[in-house]
Amino acid sequence: MIELKNVSCSFDDKEILKNINLKIKNHLSILGANGSGKSTLAKAISGLIHFDGEVSINAKKLQDINLIQRAKSISYIPAKLEVYDPYINVEEFVLLGRFPHKKSFFNYSSKDEKIAQGTLEFLRIAHLKKHTLHSLSSGEQQLTLIAQALAQQSEVIIFDEPTANLDPHNSKVIAQHIKGLKDYHQIILITHDIHLASFIDSPVVFIKNQGATLHENDFFEEATLERLYEVEFNSLVVKYD
Amino acid sequence: MIKLAIWFLLLLTLFASPFIGAVDLNFAEILTTDSLSSQIFLDLRVPRVLFAFFAGVILSLSGLLFQTLFRNALMTPYTLGISSGAVLGAGIAIKLGLGSLIFGIAAISVFGFLGALFTVFLLVYLSQFLKSSQHESLLLLGIALSLFYTSSLMIIFYLGDAIENDMLIRYTMGSLSVIGWDYPLFLGAIAVFLFLSLYLYKYELQLLSISDSQATLKGINTKKVTLTLLIISSLGIGVLVSISGPIGFIGLIVPHIVTKLHPSSVDKRIFSTALFGGFFLVFCDTITRSITTQSELPIGIITALIGGPFFIYLIISKSKR
Repeated sequence: MIELKNVSCSFDDKEILKNINLKIKNHLSILGANGSGKSTLAKAISGLIHFDGEVSINAKKLQDINLIQRAKSISYIPAKLEVYDPYINVEEFVLLGRFPHKKSFFNYSSKDEKIAQGTLEFLRIAHLKKHTLHSLSSGEQQLTLIAQALAQQSEVIIFDEPTANLDPHNSKVIAQHIKGLKDYHQIILITHDIHLASFIDSPVVFIKNQGATLHENDFFEEATLERLYEVEFNSLVVKYD
Repeated sequence: MIKLAIWFLLLLTLFASPFIGAVDLNFAEILTTDSLSSQIFLDLRVPRVLFAFFAGVILSLSGLLFQTLFRNALMTPYTLGISSGAVLGAGIAIKLGLGSLIFGIAAISVFGFLGALFTVFLLVYLSQFLKSSQHESLLLLGIALSLFYTSSLMIIFYLGDAIENDMLIRYTMGSLSVIGWDYPLFLGAIAVFLFLSLYLYKYELQLLSISDSQATLKGINTKKVTLTLLIISSLGIGVLVSISGPIGFIGLIVPHIVTKLHPSSVDKRIFSTALFGGFFLVFCDTITRSITTQSELPIGIITALIGGPFFIYLIISKSKR
């Protein structure tokens, strides 16, 4: 369980999140407008940014969990892959998911390699393993990121706008994978894609005006959505199932 | 095929190099002790080739390390002002008339080393005020420092007399000439230490070469790893610069050349970069020694003369496709 107590976050004196209190027992989707602080919240939970207040994982404060243990319990999948090294390939990248499990200063074991290979096959991208990350399409990049997170075998996986750069077909592929993963991992999904959130069907936290409100089951009603997003909705949607 | 030819040429140079130089050696005499040829061969040529090799290893590995840690193709100990710091240190020693030895080491070298080390710590200190993503700012800091050092050196030149200025110019041009085995062995130990450090941290480097957040998310304390590796490499650079003066360009181009020859992730390029750097500096040094002039051509001139056009060729030929 992940618990947030009075979490506040600011960037360059601009307050993004203010006194967020949240208990994440199981799956959760986080929605909200652009710049509302969805990603900031995800980054705070994964320990990527500085925040005031307290985040604890299984009753242990985030600050007291060393980085390796954190990596074993949480993996974070960004919306877009940013890679400086242009020559790292898919196989090597996915294997890096095993880094927290590896003995320091040792090579990856054959078990690590098997696990990495397994995730590539599970996501049906084994044929891409010798391709460099720069040569992949956005959809393939997202699958590669997921493969790495799966190799990491963490309890929690945070998806930060997984379909933001994808076409409807690839969005569907990713959506089905995420739904399937709910049986094995605690999934925290951050998204603008209301249909994705409704397909994944987890409780929703909506972030607005620096605060968070939990919607257990009324979120996907048109009236709620129109009130929260301040726009009208019609029914042109892609079917993810 | 071209790859193989380049490696073969460099390897050949390594073994041929001790036989090339201003004085022609009598091959039969090399094996006889006490002969002049044998003395030149064993006390000058072989130590010098080894010194050049290890210097190349340290320079190119440091370049690879800086480029990886800061994810910027222009980052080297030289672009960050570390060598200018060494030169200024040496300049101050010369201006103060410290020609004598400190603890048996030339004062110029000691001051050069201190100048390099001071710059590293200054950069590390200043970088705390930057956000972790602002690596460009660090590069700008280094460039600003370089310009400041160079101007300070100009003042020393301006105030100096002919003899002082001559010593200073010779130091700034860099030289690989060493006598005896002390320096090569010392430098070799440092080169091996630097290589092993990078090799042990290869997966950390691989993660850092992707992004800082990737590294953090996989459990790496990025600040600690970065600082550890920077200090190890700076010690190597400091020692090297204090003995040989600044030798530019190698740290910048060798990692890029090796990347173009063997495109692969950084963990697989550590050994080849070290080897290529060593070979390449020996190759350049062999050329400076075989061109007969009144005195020896400074090594920095040759590394830039050969490396520059080759580097440009590689960039253009690969990006065409």
